[in-house]
Amino acid sequence: MEKITKDRLDEVLKNPPPENGRYIRVGMSSCGVAAGAAEVFALLRSEVEKRKLAVPVVPCGCSGGCHSEPLVEVCVDGLPSVTYGKVNAEIAMRIIEEHVRDKRLVQDYIVDAPMKRAVAL
Amino acid sequence: MVKARINGITVKVPEGTTILDAAHKVQIKIPTLCKHPDLRATGACGVCIVKIKGSQKMVRACCTPLEENMEITTHDPEIVAVRRSVIELILSRHPNECLTCGRNQNCELQKLASDFGVRRESFPQYLPDIKPDTSTGTIVLEPRKCISCGRCITVCQEMQNVWALSMLERGIDTRISPAGDISLADSPCVNCGQCSAHCPTGAIFENDETAKVWQALQDENKYCIVEIAPAVRVAIGEAFGLPLGQNCTGKLYTALRRMGFEAVFDTNFGADVTIVEEAHEFVERFVHKKGALPLITSCCPAWVDFMEKFYPDMIEHFSSCKSPHQIVGVLSKTYYARKKRLDPANAYVVSVMPCTAKKYEIKRSGEMFASGHQDIDVSITTRELGRMIKQAGIDFASLPDEESDHILGEYSGAGTIFGVTGGVMEAALRTAYDYITGGKLKNIDFENVRGLAGVKEGAVPVGSHTVKVAVAHGLRNVEAVLSKVRLAKARGEEPPYHFIEVMACPGGCVGGGGQPYGVTDELRVKRGKGLYKDDEAHTMRYSHENPWVKKVYQDFLGEPLGTKAKELLHAAYKARPEYKK
Amino acid sequence: MTTTVVLIRDTDSGGADRTRDVHDLFTQKVRDAGLQNEVQVVRAADLGIYNKGMVAKILPQGIVYAGIADADVDDIVTTTLAQKMPVSRLVYCGANEQVRIVMRNCGIVNPECIEDYIARKGYQGIKRALYDLTPEKAIEELKTSGLRGRGGAGYPTWLKWSLARNAFGDRKFVICNGDEGDPGAYMDRSVLEGDPHSVIEGMMIAAYCIGATKGFLYIRAEYPLAIKRVQKALDDAYGTGLLGKDILGTSFCLDLEVRLGAGAFVCGEETALIASVEGKRGTPRPRPPYPSDVGLFGKPTVINNVETFANVSYILLNGAKTFASIGTDKSKGTKVFALTGKIRNSGLVEIPMGTPLRVIIEDIGGGVASGKKILAVQTGGPSGGVIPEQHFDTPVSYEHLLELGSFMGSGGMIVMDEDDCLVDIAKFYLGFCVDESCGKCAPCRIGGFQMLKVLEKITDGKGMPEDLDTLKRIAQAMRKASLCALGQGAPNPIISTMKYFAEEYRQHIVDRKCRAGKCTRLMRFEILDTSCKRCKLCVVNCPVHCIAGDREKGYRIDQEKCIKCGRCFEVCKFEAVARS
Ligand SMILES: Cc1cc2nc3c(=O)[nH]c(=O)nc-3n(C[C@H](O)[C@H](O)[C@H](O)COP(=O)(O)O)c2cc1C
Ligand code: SF4
Ligand code: SF4
Ligand code: SF4
Ligand code: SF4
Ligand code: SF4
Ligand code: SF4
Repeated sequence: MEKITKDRLDEVLKNPPPENGRYIRVGMSSCGVAAGAAEVFALLRSEVEKRKLAVPVVPCGCSGGCHSEPLVEVCVDGLPSVTYGKVNAEIAMRIIEEHVRDKRLVQDYIVDAPMKRAVAL
Repeated sequence: MVKARINGITVKVPEGTTILDAAHKVQIKIPTLCKHPDLRATGACGVCIVKIKGSQKMVRACCTPLEENMEITTHDPEIVAVRRSVIELILSRHPNECLTCGRNQNCELQKLASDFGVRRESFPQYLPDIKPDTSTGTIVLEPRKCISCGRCITVCQEMQNVWALSMLERGIDTRISPAGDISLADSPCVNCGQCSAHCPTGAIFENDETAKVWQALQDENKYCIVEIAPAVRVAIGEAFGLPLGQNCTGKLYTALRRMGFEAVFDTNFGADVTIVEEAHEFVERFVHKKGALPLITSCCPAWVDFMEKFYPDMIEHFSSCKSPHQIVGVLSKTYYARKKRLDPANAYVVSVMPCTAKKYEIKRSGEMFASGHQDIDVSITTRELGRMIKQAGIDFASLPDEESDHILGEYSGAGTIFGVTGGVMEAALRTAYDYITGGKLKNIDFENVRGLAGVKEGAVPVGSHTVKVAVAHGLRNVEAVLSKVRLAKARGEEPPYHFIEVMACPGGCVGGGGQPYGVTDELRVKRGKGLYKDDEAHTMRYSHENPWVKKVYQDFLGEPLGTKAKELLHAAYKARPEYKK
Repeated sequence: MTTTVVLIRDTDSGGADRTRDVHDLFTQKVRDAGLQNEVQVVRAADLGIYNKGMVAKILPQGIVYAGIADADVDDIVTTTLAQKMPVSRLVYCGANEQVRIVMRNCGIVNPECIEDYIARKGYQGIKRALYDLTPEKAIEELKTSGLRGRGGAGYPTWLKWSLARNAFGDRKFVICNGDEGDPGAYMDRSVLEGDPHSVIEGMMIAAYCIGATKGFLYIRAEYPLAIKRVQKALDDAYGTGLLGKDILGTSFCLDLEVRLGAGAFVCGEETALIASVEGKRGTPRPRPPYPSDVGLFGKPTVINNVETFANVSYILLNGAKTFASIGTDKSKGTKVFALTGKIRNSGLVEIPMGTPLRVIIEDIGGGVASGKKILAVQTGGPSGGVIPEQHFDTPVSYEHLLELGSFMGSGGMIVMDEDDCLVDIAKFYLGFCVDESCGKCAPCRIGGFQMLKVLEKITDGKGMPEDLDTLKRIAQAMRKASLCALGQGAPNPIISTMKYFAEEYRQHIVDRKCRAGKCTRLMRFEILDTSCKRCKLCVVNCPVHCIAGDREKGYRIDQEKCIKCGRCFEVCKFEAVARS
């Protein structure tokens, strides 16, 4: 593993890396996993790989909306980022096909996840 | 020093003094239940709560240090109400069995309930259903009466470093038990009885064997012999309101005779024999280099058990000489029986000891049957004897003094200090000095092995030699001494000591697990003083000069460490597992 | 170019859901305006806004319109979508919103990727401390921030640290308390799972401030995922040189290690936790001495909650002033609550201190899902209190909750509605404390048990008016004489419900009635002769055989013998058993 030095940290502060503009994030904390996030995650990953889509599928923690888990946040070129709630295999497929491939948001599953805003960060 | 006010009274105490102790200084008694002067405060019972001005909370006086300018209230209606509620809550989980309880009239819980005038059950009783543990035959655990104060556990773990006892389960089901929920006999317990001496209630008590003694005394075919240990004489008076530490030897002889014993002997005679044998052993090892050094005393059975379980590598260092009461026992059933033309099978020997471990010792190995019979039939504690004297209707405090019976009742001053930490060492050195140098010590009071420091060390010039000694009491203090010995052995160096004395109980037998309740360091010192005075009062202060000891050797035993002596007066040790099964 | 998205949601709970109609209308209007290639109209499942009529949220701008009538749709399309201008009369400004400090990275970073954390300015706080601040200065910074412990009692973090710093010891320790045992609370788990590095960084800062070289993260064994993520985070921190020797090129050294909690609730109490890490029975011991003086292995030790540490790394990164600008006078920053119970959106919310309870429950939580009346909320875990609806405008802070007879605790917030029986709830919490009492001290061990017996008596319909005095008397003894906060706080749910819901207790004791029907022993079961089909199912199912009769006369329950088990009520297929 590469050592993290003071210089490296100074560099991050001076030139913050751009917010990654392309991702599919799956809430993979206990609440998400209990609601089936692991299967959704695996499915999304394999579909993305199979279709060679240029969007990484990454795990993340719980943003607080535990009642709507599994939560999947999708951010692809040309569309604002949105979060889907109570995602199952079927909706995951629709996310891949409609949202990621066809750039058409999936109806009826978007939840406005609690604000991911930190003061003065 | 900190200055503060308690109930409006100004107190000045050293920093770190608890509110409890500070209050005591100005004659304020805050009630306690779980706190014991010997032990670190655990804060378990919640009876000693007090108020500090400016705080909503109540704090525990037993473990809260007094701070500068604190204003403490120890008694007001609210505090007393809370205390009463706590006591009544404790009583709601405790059987009302005072009348049939070993602690009746001597129980800290009972006293508290009485002081607070508890007259009714405010809360319904829910009693646990737990069987007593009688497996050891020395002490009995009666968890139903346990109030989970935790004293016994602190004693067993921290004072004695045995770790036999622990709390099991949680909440309302919390109970004391040998760790791992096995029987006490299968646990590492060494039977020292310190837990029973510190328990505020009847939840741990000595196995009461007074009924056996009464039965033997009734039995016309039995010739009942009794011996009393050194430490008993300076403690029994407490059961009858006599001054602390008063030597009651003469009254004891009288009382025992009136109870019906035909021969009243003294363990101190056995102590003198022990010294003769042990000093010879020491000379063999120290001067003639025959055998391992240091030599370690073995007259405390709890210590022997502890060593066999935790320090079996020390077996070769142990004096093989039996403890004094076993010696009196075996001599009673051999030498004395022969002289009296008595069938030893009909002799019944009772030893009165400050000790619960002696109940174990009398059967601990085949050597305890050297007379061909069990040398000691039953061993009872000071507490048991106190009750027997009361049952016999004897007004102990007013009794005249009598003498012990001849020969096994005659003792030297050296024999009597066996009952206090450092005493065995002191007695042995007096004799060994004579054996090695052929002369007498100028000052025979070895001040640096006296007192209550946990480990005492000294170097005694003996002729051209210097004898390095160490004395430890309270089993937790053993480690400091023996780890040095182990280290030196491992490195092949000179031993750090030549002679080590260990007694399992803090203060030695005067603080024994079978002694009257309420032991504190202050009391240990007072009891010890009683013995030192007894020593000083004797003109005969060397064990080997006890003419009756000499006579028994001449008439019967032969040479110290000789064949007969070895056969009757010595024992062997073996490693034992900490946990049986 | 980014497509504009219009999220549509009907937020009224009563009446028909008109989301679909308005969506269709919107789509039509967008098409009419020829914007269909730039705008997508999407039906949302939940916009986090409730009872505000038809709501539309425009992304990426984030404009929210509420109370939209069909007639307004045109306006929105022409003004906002076409001309990019807001329709001010419809704009909805959410009341008090959540503010994310502790959860700043939760749901954003990949918790198993240290690079993600660093990209979000992670480990800048410890860098700043090491290079720009002396330990004293860093503690000063915490003092300015006003941060107080999030594990329950709210002790000022800086004070704890400076005591430990000034305490004499050849070694010192830091411990992160991740034992989280309150029923209903799981924010610590979430932070450990979602952003473990923020906690590790906080511990590093603490260690630097007090001079510790070794630390433990005590995490309850029931949190396997948290343990795994934290372990991975520690491995990565070691791998990248952020832990171990000579951290970030300075002489600062620190080793951190995970220890698993034994599962007992009381092991979250700091002295019990320390005993547990030392391998002893996990029971509290009297304080003083406090762990900052005599802690782990007898050495000065700082022990803080997970959330506290996550705040620390934020404060060192963004400065004390930023942090202190949020919250109330005496309670600074934010607090994470786990909202559960009869609430539409159960989950974690992070709000600035001082946010009224009502905002949390109604605006963020969306109120009661069933539409029933909210009765109360329970905060502070098993030793907290129950706060009735009339106090919902109280701002959340350490002081205010205390005034209401509850307290902050670790942040559980359980909402109750009309279907809940407050006596039953009080019994539940007390039962928890009785089960979890370590048994060391008499007031808690026996007092809790006795109180529970009294409550059982009351809910069994055998209560007497004087039982309330007994409860109060035991409660006083427990509060004043218990050794640790578990026993001291255990009576709180009872005392607070007795205060705010005295009528419920009266009903149980005097009328022998349970309003909510939770206390089945207070129920009366009767067979309605007219609905009864004589199937005898109840007769065979009654465990005490107290239902008798025949096909002619019908069946009757012998009320004397009935034990109120409710079996007949459950088994009857014809709703012929009435419960009252
Ligand atoms: C019964 C009991 C349980 C506790 N459980 C926890 C817990 O799970 N997590 C926690 O952080 N603090 C818990 N605490 C509080 C801790 O004792 C301690 O105050 C806290 O960890 C200090 O951290 P803070 O100053 O960051 O709040 C508990 C206290 C008690 C009395
Ligand atoms: S332990 Fe004390 S209070 Fe309990 S029965 Fe015995 S004498 Fe009575
Ligand atoms: S007798 Fe001694 S060793 Fe045995 S349990 Fe009691 S204190 Fe422990
Ligand atoms: S047995 Fe006695 S000393 Fe031990 S905890 Fe129970 S009451 Fe206390
Ligand atoms: S020191 Fe004395 S009383 Fe204590 S166990 Fe040993 S022999 Fe018995
Ligand atoms: S209050 Fe309860 S949990 Fe706390 S020490 Fe006492 S018995 Fe144990
Ligand atoms: S189960 Fe219902 S329908 Fe059947 S006998 Fe009982 S009350 Fe009547």
